[in-house]
Amino acid sequence: MRGIVFTELLEMIEDKFGYELVDKLLQESDLPSGGIYTSIGKYDHAEMLTLVTKLSQKTQIPMPDLLRSYGQYMFVAFTRSYRHFVDRADSAFSLLSSVQHYIHVEVRKLYPDAELPHFIIDQPAENHLRMHYISERKLADFAYGLIEGCLLNYGEKATITKTNLVEDGSQVLFDIVKK
Amino acid sequence: MEDIDLLKRRLIREKTARLQAEAILETKALALYNANEQLLHLNENLEQQIRDKLAELRESEQRYRQLIESVQDIIYKISPEGFFTFVSPVVEKLLGYTEEESLGKHFTDFVQPGYRMMLIEFYRTMMVERQDSTYNEFPVVAKNGRIVWIGQTVRLIEKNGQIHELVAVARDVSDRKLAEIELETTQTRLSTLITNLQSGVMVEDENGRVILANQLFCDIFEIPLTAHELIGYDCTEARQQVKPLFTQPDVFIERMCQLLEQRQARVGEEISMANGHILELDYIPIFLDDHQYMGHLWKYTDVTKKYMARELIRRSEEKYRGIMNNMELGLFEVDTNQIIVRAYDRCCQMLGYTEQEMIGKNASDLLVPAEFVEVVERQQEERRKGHAGSYELQLIKKDGNRIWVLISGVPILDEHGVIVGSMGIHYDMTERKQLEQELAKARQFAEEAQQAEKQFFANMSHEIRTPLNAIIGMSHLLFDTQPTSQQREYIDILKTSADFLHGLISDLLDMTKIEAGRIEIHPRPFDLAGLLRSTQKVFQMKLQSRPISVDVMLDTRITDDFIGDDVMLNQILMNLVGNAEKFTEEGQIQIMAKVKKEEELKHWIEFTVSDTGIGIPNEKLDLVFQKFKQVNPQGYKHKGTGLGLAITKELVEIQGGTIFVRSQIGHGSTFTFTLPYTKSLIPAEQKSNSDKQLALVDELKTCSVLIVEDNLMNQTYIGSLLTKWNIPYTMASDGKQAVEKAKSQQFDIILMDIQMPIMNGYEATVAIRSTHNPNQHVPIIALTASAMLDHKSVAMEAGMNDFLTKPFEPTQLLTILQRFAPTTSTDNDGCILFDKSLDRRRLSELYGTDTAYASEMFSMFLTDVVPDLRKMSGLCMEQNWPGLASTAHKLKPTLGMVGLSWLEEKMRHLEKNALQGANKEGLAVYCHDFMEEINKVLPILETELQKLSQL
Repeated sequence: MRGIVFTELLEMIEDKFGYELVDKLLQESDLPSGGIYTSIGKYDHAEMLTLVTKLSQKTQIPMPDLLRSYGQYMFVAFTRSYRHFVDRADSAFSLLSSVQHYIHVEVRKLYPDAELPHFIIDQPAENHLRMHYISERKLADFAYGLIEGCLLNYGEKATITKTNLVEDGSQVLFDIVKK
Repeated sequence: MEDIDLLKRRLIREKTARLQAEAILETKALALYNANEQLLHLNENLEQQIRDKLAELRESEQRYRQLIESVQDIIYKISPEGFFTFVSPVVEKLLGYTEEESLGKHFTDFVQPGYRMMLIEFYRTMMVERQDSTYNEFPVVAKNGRIVWIGQTVRLIEKNGQIHELVAVARDVSDRKLAEIELETTQTRLSTLITNLQSGVMVEDENGRVILANQLFCDIFEIPLTAHELIGYDCTEARQQVKPLFTQPDVFIERMCQLLEQRQARVGEEISMANGHILELDYIPIFLDDHQYMGHLWKYTDVTKKYMARELIRRSEEKYRGIMNNMELGLFEVDTNQIIVRAYDRCCQMLGYTEQEMIGKNASDLLVPAEFVEVVERQQEERRKGHAGSYELQLIKKDGNRIWVLISGVPILDEHGVIVGSMGIHYDMTERKQLEQELAKARQFAEEAQQAEKQFFANMSHEIRTPLNAIIGMSHLLFDTQPTSQQREYIDILKTSADFLHGLISDLLDMTKIEAGRIEIHPRPFDLAGLLRSTQKVFQMKLQSRPISVDVMLDTRITDDFIGDDVMLNQILMNLVGNAEKFTEEGQIQIMAKVKKEEELKHWIEFTVSDTGIGIPNEKLDLVFQKFKQVNPQGYKHKGTGLGLAITKELVEIQGGTIFVRSQIGHGSTFTFTLPYTKSLIPAEQKSNSDKQLALVDELKTCSVLIVEDNLMNQTYIGSLLTKWNIPYTMASDGKQAVEKAKSQQFDIILMDIQMPIMNGYEATVAIRSTHNPNQHVPIIALTASAMLDHKSVAMEAGMNDFLTKPFEPTQLLTILQRFAPTTSTDNDGCILFDKSLDRRRLSELYGTDTAYASEMFSMFLTDVVPDLRKMSGLCMEQNWPGLASTAHKLKPTLGMVGLSWLEEKMRHLEKNALQGANKEGLAVYCHDFMEEINKVLPILETELQKLSQL
């Protein structure tokens, strides 16, 4: 898993709960990396699961909510680091539509070893977008947050319906209808 | 404190993270640097590569150009309007058009009419639809008129969105095209053939799938699909489905599996179907290049009708075989080389072999004994000509015994009419043959006996005839010995009996010859009227003492000579007239002859011999011509063989004539016969003397006869007759002597016996006739005892003038002598003809032809001896017996010198008596008589002397 996901998570915990919690999490969790992350590095995704599970325990906030919030936070982070992707799209749908065939393609140019979820995207109507999430990481809630972050970024409002296609959450359908 | 620890930890984390990030960046930067380096380098390379490629391109262009020029394909360009803008030189080679001729032309100019519009349409479509590349085939006309099929690939060349031109690569595909057309035709033919085949055909691939079938196949197996729909079906499954259609479904399946396993072609296997049909199955495996198995073909033909027909034939054959086997006839068949191809039971039984033992063997070698091989070969030759035939031969059975069989052989033809062998039907005729052989043996035995009898009979006849001749002759001579009336009576009986015996034997001999077919007709010109008159004369003489007249009535048209067998006619007449004479007591025997019918070449002469005799009863008329049948009344005085009329009938019929008889009891019989004769253009060799009166012996001018005869009795008989008639003769006892005598002396006539030792009569005659001698043209008369008609003809051919059959009567010889006697004595060089009263023979012996000597002697006798003779009467008167005896003794020889032989005898008598002195009175009378006789003959002697001196 890319280092930026870890650095931004710790960033967000620090923002919301202070560095103490960050420190507590890193110390209490037995992490192979020793809790030392750089955004350009690459770490075991199990460490992410460990951190988020610990955080949920500490904060008493359910995991899905945590991940969704983190997704929203993350999108903002992306708008900073990867401005030109956002600039290129003139709307949330435009950006979301290009995730699989443009953004992920570009990411792989920079990080050939990146492990990315797979999206099947179609647009049945002008205001309607369907995104089919497939990933063994089962982080659909994180994706949910990112979609919400995207909509926020463009100041658009939409109803997002999340449907688990597979029980374990490895396949999820997002039905996004603009208001 | 806690905050400081926290911060420391955070710092360490941050610092460590930074170091990590720096390390990563360092690595990335290095990788970036290397990438950049490579990129720079690549740029340089690229420039060089571009330069190289450009050069390469130029070269390649050059090469392509050369390639275009050298390639076998035509490469050309045309404008979108269809005009040639470029053509490769191959075009000239391929089609004969030069580059100049092609450029500027429209492409359809070369296309064979009929394909042009289609092509224009094709390429217009291509351009409208902007098809990148197309392929098409069409025929073009080469410069020399030849049609060349072209296959071409055309590419559109676009420039600025406009069609710039079209580039085509075309090649000659004629061979392939033609092959394709041919293949297509063959395919069409084959598929038509298979579709229309009167057999159901199905082709299965190596995986057991149908790849081809025809409708009939579906119909036969009641498959509710079209032939096309059947393709792709699994055959193994299909077989299971159709198997109930067969009478023996499991056997069918088993056989199918067997065939599939063996993969060997099978044809003509017959399968019965439950519906009663019979199928003929052909299984043909298909191999590619002889090895690779590609599946197989099934062919089912409904042969029910053929099968039924064959079944019918088979049953019929069985029936006939049954008949043949149960017949009493043995049959076997051979091919053209005599090899047995089939033998029937009955035949095997007959010969003791089994059919297996016979088949394949040469029939001739196996069965035919060596002596019959030739017969078989001859028969085989006939078979080869297509002829049937039957023959008998022996066959050797297996046990070595032989059987006789009657074989009927017929050639066997195949359906083209070519002879492929023959069949022999053998009938065992061993028993019959044995019987036949026994019969033949018996017959041969009988025939041999008969032949021996005949031979014996012939010999005996001949042996009887010779002495009979002497008996008859001698009995005639006996009449001249002044017999007493009692002796005369006895001699008469002797003669009659001998004559009867003679007639009997002659008739028997004639019949024997006729039956043996030894009688032939020898036609020659003859005087018919003369012959009839001669017959009349013979019987007139015979019947002198009986009140029967013999008359001849002749058709006036019978004037010329005819050609025919006069010998036969003579015998017929002799028989008929002789017959008439026998049964007639008094009245008339009439011989009539008239011309019944005149044809161009033939004259039919009808002869009638009628009598006024006792006649023949009606019911016996049919019997008269039969052998050994005598119809004369019981105890009638005339006996005979009963052959006379049978011989007569045969003789008439041999000459092509007919004979019949009419009769009335008590009034007489009439025999009528008709004979064909040819008119002669030349007269008969000699005129019969019969119209003259029969000359008397005295008038005969014959003075020298040569008798050729070996039999002493006959020598005596003939010699006696001639002596009696006072005819001088010379005797020869065989042919050789006769020829010698004929050389030294001329004769008036030669009487020639036929059968003699050393040289027979024919040979002697030929010798006399063919060599120069005084008797070359003298008449020669055959004296034949053995045969009659046939020997006479041979005698004539040998050059003899006539014949006399022994035994003959003196008159017959006399008639002959008269017929051939010289007409005058002066004609005669053979001897001097003295007066009949003189001993001619003695004189002939003394003087021969020496007239001067004879004249001298006669003169001397008359002048010197006669005076001495006259003295004898004086001596008698004086009864001077010794003087008489002395004178008689002295004068006695002189009498013979002038032919007074009988006086010489008397003189000897006188001398003898005078010497003995006995019977003195008688002696005186005798002496007187003697002197009277001398006086009587003296004028004769004087006449003779006169005649002699004149010669």
